[in-house]
Amino acid sequence: MLPLLPGIVPFGLIAGFTPVSFRYTWIDSIMGSLLMFAGASQLAAYQLMDEGASLWVILMTVAAINLRYVLYSASIAPYLTHANRTSRLLAGYGLTDQIYAVCQRDYPTHDWNLNERLAYYGGGTLVLWLLWQLCTLAGALIGQVIPVFWSLEFMIPLTFLALALNTLKTNAHRVTALTASVVSFLGLELPYNFGLMFGGLLGILAGVLYKRFSG
Amino acid sequence: MMTDSFLIVVALAGLVTLALKCAFIEGQQYFKLPPWFTESLEFVPPAVLCALVIPGIFQGDVGLVSAFGSVGVDPKPIAACIAAITFFATKKTIPTLIIGMVSLYAVYWLQF
Repeated sequence: MLPLLPGIVPFGLIAGFTPVSFRYTWIDSIMGSLLMFAGASQLAAYQLMDEGASLWVILMTVAAINLRYVLYSASIAPYLTHANRTSRLLAGYGLTDQIYAVCQRDYPTHDWNLNERLAYYGGGTLVLWLLWQLCTLAGALIGQVIPVFWSLEFMIPLTFLALALNTLKTNAHRVTALTASVVSFLGLELPYNFGLMFGGLLGILAGVLYKRFSG
Repeated sequence: MMTDSFLIVVALAGLVTLALKCAFIEGQQYFKLPPWFTESLEFVPPAVLCALVIPGIFQGDVGLVSAFGSVGVDPKPIAACIAAITFFATKKTIPTLIIGMVSLYAVYWLQF
């Protein structure tokens, strides 16, 4: 778990100062990280709010970015079946890429009982959660004193760019990315962020079709 | 607009996120994922992230422009290209962010 922690610091800082750079308060930043606790989708929500997107576009985008959690949740669930409801809800709230990565690696190879598995999950999640909230707070406070011309809001598309490029593992993923980018570009002038929606959906479709017909 | 609507949006987005995160931890006995859904899931991140990058790069003005005025060529797409090259060269996020920001400043000031 520890090696995964430094990676979240810059994202936490960005998640903290982005709302402030859009003229919200530092308390709003904190509330964003507390209520959502899901980095990339927080940035997407902030960017879309700044663009004046409608509520359903924001929620759809957040859902799309966070769809992977359904898969994580499905893979972790058998190990937490008999936990009580509070523990299960907390585990759900605390689910992250990082805790999923260590749990799917360590649960199958260790003969732990439920309490040990919950302790492992809870300990890792608590550290990550605290670090994320502290980074958000630091980012929000720094954001209040950094002048507008630093253009730090440009770090959102740069962050998404790095995250997107990091997903290009196979040709099917590259086809997805290219399709989504081109469609989104062609749809820039469309109202209601249709470019984003069409780009996302057609990109996914292109990847599925490419994978199916290329072998 | 401001704080109230911000809080409503993040609260609802938080609920959506929580529902997805809890989907199976809570409801594993009730439903199974259809195969087409699982199959398409791996393409969601590149699709959605790219679709989000494009408006961030091609629309709107950065703080530099609102503070000091516009320049002939929008520095955002050029800075994003340099950032992408940096990512391919280093495979690391932080150098990508730093070089992307420095490129943004450089391309702006070169035309100023």
